[in-house]
Parts: sequence; structure tokens; C-alpha cells
Amino acid sequence: MTPPIDQLTGIVLNIQHFCTHDGPGIRTTIFLKACSLRCKWCCNPESIHPKPELSYNLGKCIGEKECGFCLKECPESALFVLQSDGKVRVNWDLCTNCGKCVDICPTHALNLFGQNMTVQQVLDEVEQDSNFYNESGGGITVSGGECLLQPEFVGALLAGAHERGINTAIETAGNVPWRFMEQVLPHVDVMLHDHKATDPEQHKKWTGVDNVRILANFKQAYETFPNTKFVARTPLIPGVNDDEDHVRSVLAFIRPHKNVIDYELLPYHRFGESKYNFLGRVYELKDFESPTAEKLLRLRAIIDEAFGRKSNPVTEGSS
Amino acid sequence: MSTRVAVNLSSGFVPGVNAVICGVVAAANELGWKIVGIHDGFEGLLSPDRYPHGGLVDLCPELVDGSLSSSRPLLGTATKVDPFRVQTINAENQIEEVDRSDELIKLLTKNNIDAVISVVGIRALSVLFKLHRKGLRVIAVPKSVENDVAATQLSFGFNSTLSCAVEMLERSREAARSAQQIGVIEVLGEHSGWLALQAGIAGFADAILIPELPYDIERVAAKLRAELGIGARHGLVVVAEGARSAAPETELRTVNPLKASLSPSATGQEGGHVIERSGFMAKKVAGELQKLTGHETYPLVLGQLIKAGHPTAVDRQLGLAYGAAAIRALHENQSGVMTAFEPPELKFVPLSEAINKIRTVPANSLFVQTARSLGICLGD
Repeated sequence: MTPPIDQLTGIVLNIQHFCTHDGPGIRTTIFLKACSLRCKWCCNPESIHPKPELSYNLGKCIGEKECGFCLKECPESALFVLQSDGKVRVNWDLCTNCGKCVDICPTHALNLFGQNMTVQQVLDEVEQDSNFYNESGGGITVSGGECLLQPEFVGALLAGAHERGINTAIETAGNVPWRFMEQVLPHVDVMLHDHKATDPEQHKKWTGVDNVRILANFKQAYETFPNTKFVARTPLIPGVNDDEDHVRSVLAFIRPHKNVIDYELLPYHRFGESKYNFLGRVYELKDFESPTAEKLLRLRAIIDEAFGRKSNPVTEGSS
Repeated sequence: MSTRVAVNLSSGFVPGVNAVICGVVAAANELGWKIVGIHDGFEGLLSPDRYPHGGLVDLCPELVDGSLSSSRPLLGTATKVDPFRVQTINAENQIEEVDRSDELIKLLTKNNIDAVISVVGIRALSVLFKLHRKGLRVIAVPKSVENDVAATQLSFGFNSTLSCAVEMLERSREAARSAQQIGVIEVLGEHSGWLALQAGIAGFADAILIPELPYDIERVAAKLRAELGIGARHGLVVVAEGARSAAPETELRTVNPLKASLSPSATGQEGGHVIERSGFMAKKVAGELQKLTGHETYPLVLGQLIKAGHPTAVDRQLGLAYGAAAIRALHENQSGVMTAFEPPELKFVPLSEAINKIRTVPANSLFVQTARSLGICLGD
């Protein structure tokens, strides 16, 4: 039996207010932890792992001489000082993400990505923005990571939002068992979903798994939930999927389904790269550039033609 | 039953790895012990199906004979194999990182392996330390082209890289001379400036910029202007990839609202070299010097290029000595230690003393003093 909403918890990464890229109108986006893919271009690496995770921003550290509290607090001896600059470094192999150093770090150089929140707590926070939802036709969007990896939490959250008259959307890459998607979709008004690559092998190369189950899930979702609106999206990565063939194959997949109302292109950006360093990881796409404006316009025109409309401005950002 | 010891390499090729393996095999052979190599760190044990002939290879003296000077490693070097965080696809087709360290220890036992000698850099030392805490008998051999592993004066691989860097600096100087330009040559060294400093001294550079000594670009420019003022037509500056300016950074990427909305939590700022890594500092310093001196500059990145190649005589000796010492440590019933060169001795230091440290250049280092005595500008 599902626990009541003041007890049912999920691991929330962040609640971002006044978002305009994650569905219609002004929205509040709830980013959840855990992802079942490992896209090399991911701009939210702190959302990948399922548990709260330490991050360290060297620029905010004031050094051992001025502070040094974290060094005494760490039970794993996973923090140390680099003698040449007197600032702390994290031994990521010894760190267990216990978070004991976070509370005593006065400058917030040490931070824990992710916290347990109840459905009620999230609803209380998002409801503060309800005036904006009403004015703009917005609502809440649950994103990630892969939000469908916490189906009970997301289902209860969206059901609670509906009870309060709030429009609901989710962002998903679709790589979850169908039963997870089936559990959440009854409470979803708009599902934003990614088509990252056409070829299964290419999909596996860039995200870690092929797209066979993902496409099967999407097709089943279109057919099982005819009243839900679907928006297809492609994070446009140069040399990976920024070609006409991919766009046309996505269009061929979605156009037979009338409840797929749009296809958006999200140009690759590098805004998340600094966070890789905060987490002790390496950003692998450092030599990639954003797609050119000409290419975006050309691909967008193909989509507009398929949807029988004049050109729309290109949405910025990739997930 | 004779003792059976495994040897493996952590990520990244370093000149001289074959010398370590040869040293291990030769010393083990003297004791009648058997040596088995594990491909790609621990991958050969954890995923043997990926290898057509299995993930383990028996290393007999005949097999390693002739490999000493080869630049091709006898064993594969792991890319991302950490037994505590192995990326797998689970039954639900989801990618996840799982801890396979217990399984690894069982597999070692199953394969009658009594101990592991790992050739490791800074990061893999901690992984080895954790395996040691779990009861595995391990000996670490330090490798580093930046000579940044703490608790030893010299990691093998550094001397070969240094020699190659000096040769490349000589060529760069000739190129700068013929083109009448200032060459800004970037070498590896995110935290440690040993490679830049020692190569810069040997190549008699005009200026050397290392992470340990934040630089004032005006001082570097003044030094070059002085040289150019007395008739020089070229200059040579060596910069470590992690060198940093003493002045507050003005060229950091700013956090714009779009970034904040698309990428929550990315509100911090980082030095460009952290993200761009290779090439950022050479380009930055060359651009600044061109503006300040009015003399044409060119950036050049030696990067990974100088890591490849044959080991020098020093690295061959050191590699063989480290390999033999690792066997000696096991023979003396030691575990959880790293071989360390503290001239004139070759010692064993506990892994706990080697982790959580980076060997950086002290401000009063002999090399720093030497550079200053030679009139080389260190930017401070």
C-alpha cells in the first residue's frame, strides 16, 4: 500500500522556479536524482546517481588556515589539503557521500546534491507559484535524472498537483520498465520525451543502452494514453544526431500519433561542464561545439513542414 | 604449491611499465613464484569474456624477454576500472554502478592468486588502499609522468617524459628563433609543476609558470621585454597546464540566467584549465604576452604526446628495481605498501602515507632556487 503523501519520500535534486523551457507557460521544475542512461553530453551530472552526492567547489573554499573544519569532521579521511594553495581537495575514491562535511562548511564549497523530501513538502513549495501557473498556463514539470525511476513518488506528486488544479508535465528519456511509465502517466498532462538517436547501436554508444525498449515504451504510451499530450525532443549534439535523417526518422515515428503535438530541438550546450569537476568526474565532450544557427533553422523547418505550420523560434538548451 | 602473484596496470600508459613487469617476473622466477598478468586493471578478472584468450595471461621470463625497451605495454591499461564502481547494465536495462570488490577478491582466490602488484598513479592508489582494507594482499608501484605521487622522490615514467619534453623544448626554441616569435609551450601538470620546472630549466627557458607559484603576467612580460630589448628576437616560456594567475581571474565564464535555468546548481565558476584542460593555459598566456610585449607569440601543447615512447635508462633501472622490490616486499610478508625511492634507498611506505597527498614543488625547492639563480622568471 502506498504511504500517505506526508510520508512518501523521493530524492529531490532541486526545485527550480520560473522555468520556461520545460513545458507550456511558466513552470516549476522538480529535478529528481537517478538516471538509467549515461549520456555523454549530460548537463546535469549531479542528477545521475540515485543517492545524495557530495560536490566540491574549489573556488569557494577559504582554505585550511582560515577554516579547516571539514578535515576534522570527515570520518573517512577523504578530505585533504593541497600544500601549494592551502585549500581542501576531495579524495573521491574514499568519500562515501555521508555529508558530514557539508553542514559545517561555512562557504558552501562542500554541498550535497540531493535530499529526501516528502510529496507534501514538494507540493507545499510548488504551490507558492500557483499564481504564475494560472496566469501563464504553466504548472509543474518533474524532471531528472530520470523521474520515472521513482514512480510511486512521482505518481503521488502529480496526483496531488492535479487535486490542486495544477497542470502537470514530466521529462523522460523512457528507459524504464513499462510498469513505471504506466503508473505515472495517468497523472500527466504533457509528457516531454527524448529521441536521442535513431540507430540502436549509436544510441548505445552515446547513452550506454540501445533504444529498443525506449521506443516500445513511447509507442505504447501514445496508444494507451490518447488524452495525454506528448512532445518529442532531441538534444541536438553535433556529429551525433544533428542530421536530417534523425529528424525525419523521429517525425516518421511520432506523426502517426495525433497526441504527439510537437517535436523540439534542444541545441547542445556546455553549461553543465563545470559540475563534472565539482563531482570529481571528467567531461568527455569538451571538444564539441553547439550546432550552428543555420543548421537549427534547416532542421526546424523540416519539423514545421511536417506539422504543417510556419517556422517557430528554436528552443535553447539540451537535457 | 608455489606462490602465485598477479600484476596489473592502472589507467594510462607511462614509459617503463614493461620494465616493472620484467622486474616482477625476474624476481619472482628467482623465488620459484608464478606471475600472472591481469588485462586492463581488474577488468580481465571481472569480465574475462571480453578477451579472446581470457583476461589473465601467464607471464614467464621467456614471454617478457625483449619487451624491456618496447613502448608497447605487455598488459592492457585500464581506462575506468574501479572494482568499487563498475558500470553495468542491470536486468531492467538500466545503467548503474555496482560494487564488485567482494566478487573480485573471490575471483582472485578462485584463480589461486595470493597477492596483487598494481602499477598505479595517484587516484588508483586509493582504490588499492580500499582493497587492502578489505583484506587483499597488495603492493603498489608508483607511476607518474608528472612525478606527483607523494611519499616517493621519483615515480617511474617521469624521467622519460622529462627527457622527451626537453627535446621538444629544444625544437620549439629553434622554431621560435627562426620565426622570431615567443613560444609558449604547455606541458602536463595540473597540480604539480615538476615537469614544467625541470624541463624548463634543462631547456633554459626565459620563464616557467607552475601551479605552485601563482604568476603575475606583467612580470613575465617584463622579463621578455628585457630580453627583446637587448637584441633577442625570440623567447621561450614553459607553462604547466595547471598554472594559475595571481591576479583575480577576469576571463572566467559568467553564470548567465539561461545557464542557471537549464543547469541548476551550476552556479559556481571554475578556472578554464579545469574544463578545457589541455591547451587552455598555453593559449591564455600566449595571448596575454602578445598583448603586453607587442611581439608575436605562438602556443604549443605537448600534452599526451611526450608520454609515449621508449623509457630512458633511468626509468628502465627504476622500473626493474620497483618490480623486484615489490616481490621482495611480498617475500617479507608485507602488504598494503608502496615501493618508494628515497635516494639512496628503495623503501616501502604504507599506502595510508601515500594517499591524500600530491607531491608538489615546495617554494624553497632546489629546482626553484636553481631557476632563480639562472635568471629564469617564475612569474612571482
